[in-house]
Amino acid sequence: MTRPIPQHRTGIDQRSPRFGAAITAVLLAVTIVLELTRPAVWFGYATYDNGPFAEVIGLLPYRLSDPALWLFAAITILFAWGAFAGIRRHPYGALFRAVVRPRVAPPVELEDAAPPTFAQGIGFAITAAGIVLQLLGVPYALVGAASAAFVAAFLNSVFAFCLGCRLYLGLRRLGVLRAPLAS
Amino acid sequence: MQPYLALLVLACLVVASTAIGLVLRRSSGRVRGSADDATPRISPADLGVDAVFGSAATLVQFSTSFCGQCPATRRMLGDLAMADGVAHVEVDVTDDIGLAARFRIRQTPTTLLLDAAGRQVARIGGIPRRAELQLSLAALTATA
Repeated sequence: MTRPIPQHRTGIDQRSPRFGAAITAVLLAVTIVLELTRPAVWFGYATYDNGPFAEVIGLLPYRLSDPALWLFAAITILFAWGAFAGIRRHPYGALFRAVVRPRVAPPVELEDAAPPTFAQGIGFAITAAGIVLQLLGVPYALVGAASAAFVAAFLNSVFAFCLGCRLYLGLRRLGVLRAPLAS
Repeated sequence: MQPYLALLVLACLVVASTAIGLVLRRSSGRVRGSADDATPRISPADLGVDAVFGSAATLVQFSTSFCGQCPATRRMLGDLAMADGVAHVEVDVTDDIGLAARFRIRQTPTTLLLDAAGRQVARIGGIPRRAELQLSLAALTATA
């Protein structure tokens, strides 16, 4: 039933994910402002006679030429990087080691890499869903997803509170996650 | 939307996030008393662990592999368990969601403080506040 918590796993400096979350929060803030200042067109482009998807397809070029969408897509790719390649191989981690770590005191303790890696996966799921829904024309899908991710990144960087890590048990209990992702 | 309105939306997000963070910080690690004689006794078998409870008090720590604050909590509770009659038992609920549901574990680490009889005296979510926890422990070891 219970198993010993693995102690051998290589740890990461716990300030590294917080540093990455700070960059993510700033990029998300820029995304939100860019998207909100761009004229939004959700409906009314095509009539239903042209088929149910005419509106979505007709507005696709306008939605794809949105700078906020591309910035958001870059953030999504960075979340995917952390989630699938592991938080230790993330470019923000490399930046932290190259720029921040030499200038600050050595870490008091090393943290398990599994929680922040899992949280990156949650971030990826939310931002990827935001992009898909935005392209389908769901009003304010991008702003909504970016805001949710912003709150999580802000709490992580400022309060060292990892919302994604906290979601693990809740998602397991809801049956969204069937088995542990990392071992 | 006008740029100043967009910045206003962003400012609202920052204020809301800060408020959430402050509320979380306030409640995190608090020792919440929950003592009453009707509380059922908990035994090591209920937790599925092969451990011995303390003669005065037991600190039951629920952890998962995805828990960032569990190692720090483990160290602190292990340190507190150096005292006479106090035991620290860690339970990994990563693979055992049934157990987490039975003890209503919504976050890890969650620590239960049990008295000598195995009754839950207090519950702590997050890294426990050491001074608060030491007070509760002192009350238990004094009566034991």
